[in-house]
Amino acid sequence: MPMEVGFVVGAALGVVLVLIGAFKLMWRVAEPNEALIISGSKHKLEGLEEGMGFRIVTGRGTLVTPGMQAVRKLSLDLNQTELHVDCVTHQGIPLKVRGVVIFKVGDDFVSIANAARRFLDQQKLMAERVHTVFAGHLRAIVGGLTVEDMIRDREKLTGQARAACGTEMEKLGLIVDSLQIHEIEDPTGYIKNLSAPHLAAVRRDARIAQAEADRLATEAEQLAFGRMAEATRDSEILKAGYQAEQDKANAKARQAGPLADAAARQEVVVQETRVAELEAQRREQQLQADVRKPADARAYEKRTLAEAERDALISVAEARAAETRATGEAEAAATQAKGLAQAEANRAQGLAEAEAIKARAAALAENQEAVVAQQLAEKWPEIVQAGASAFGNVDNMVLLNGADGMADLFAKALTMGGTGLGLARQLLASMNQNGPSPIQNGASPQGTSPVNGGAVPPPAQKVPVEG
Amino acid sequence: MTMDEASMVGLMGRVTGTVGPGLVGEVIVRVRGGAEHFLAYPASGTERIERGTMVTVVEYLAPRTVYVAAMYGS
Repeated sequence: MPMEVGFVVGAALGVVLVLIGAFKLMWRVAEPNEALIISGSKHKLEGLEEGMGFRIVTGRGTLVTPGMQAVRKLSLDLNQTELHVDCVTHQGIPLKVRGVVIFKVGDDFVSIANAARRFLDQQKLMAERVHTVFAGHLRAIVGGLTVEDMIRDREKLTGQARAACGTEMEKLGLIVDSLQIHEIEDPTGYIKNLSAPHLAAVRRDARIAQAEADRLATEAEQLAFGRMAEATRDSEILKAGYQAEQDKANAKARQAGPLADAAARQEVVVQETRVAELEAQRREQQLQADVRKPADARAYEKRTLAEAERDALISVAEARAAETRATGEAEAAATQAKGLAQAEANRAQGLAEAEAIKARAAALAENQEAVVAQQLAEKWPEIVQAGASAFGNVDNMVLLNGADGMADLFAKALTMGGTGLGLARQLLASMNQNGPSPIQNGASPQGTSPVNGGAVPPPAQKVPVEG
Repeated sequence: MTMDEASMVGLMGRVTGTVGPGLVGEVIVRVRGGAEHFLAYPASGTERIERGTMVTVVEYLAPRTVYVAAMYGS
């Protein structure tokens, strides 16, 4: 029993497995990037016109009868083909163009059908075919463009490519997603030359900009150097100033000791000087007290003594003068009185003489000489006085010989008078040769000799002494 | 997955290559769940439609050609 059950289960399992295998054989699923091309039996057409004879399935599964229908897959993946084409541009310049074409089978059934008819067995060769097609077309495209367009005007390139290839590729059921020119080889150097002016201008501008930048940088650098130098200079100046102040302070500090010493010494010297001055003053005072004062005292003493002596002398002299004066006055009074008396006498005598003269006049008329002698004899006292008057002007007379000298002096003076007398005698003598001398006649009543004449006043005794 | 001509007509598209007389233009149209490009020609014959302009598909020629007109009357 269990064996039977196991058999049945095994059989059923086998059937199921067989069924699954059969289904797997019959059921085909199209991947997203592929289209199933099913042919071989009459079948319902989907979206295609009559007469195509095959069925296209995309994106889903479909039941395929094995043995009766053939299923082929057409890849809808992207393909690319490299292009290496020698072209000539619109200007006749030969170029080697390297590009790439990216294409795929169109997603619509028409495109798929067209592509399936053309490439189903040659899917590996599709790129080659496309290359062949595009090589020709690229020549046409490049021939319609200039180098400048190719380099600069992408729109024009793609537009030309569409115009040249669009319908062509449509026939093949392909879509050109992209046509790119990777590289343009330029054997003639046209592009290089084309770029040369611009390159030169760019180089020029670059050099100008570089030079300008260099200049600015140099200026900035030099300015910075200048500022640095300025700052350094300022700093150096400041440092030097501070150093100078420091040195000054140091020097001052170094000098402070000596300076203080000097000041102290100066103070000492001042004090010493002061002391010396004081000592000098003291000595002066001492000297004043010791020397001068005594000297002064002595001088004063001497002077006082001298003055006293002088005063005494003066007093003596005055006294003597007063005495002399008094004596003189007394004598004068006496003389006056004597004179008056004598005048009276003389007058009386004169009157008498007048009589005599009258009498004599007659005689004189005969003997003039006698008259002259007479008159001379009468004037004798005046003559002697005039001789004595030589002493009248003598202030002080030093008598060296004392009383003898005085007598000599007077004798001489009187001798002078005597000389005059002699002269008169000679005169009279000469006159008397013709007549008798009146003197000898004794005409003079009074003592005619002046030497013995007592009537003559002693003028020599009158010694005026001025105080 | 049926795709007939009528479904393309009336769709909006954007010009990616200038459409005009004497030019083969290109428009990109949202279709079949994705966006595909089609060769485009001006529907009016003399119209020139610059890149970036929104267009309406007026006519569809299988497999990949459409005739378009500018949408907003430019």
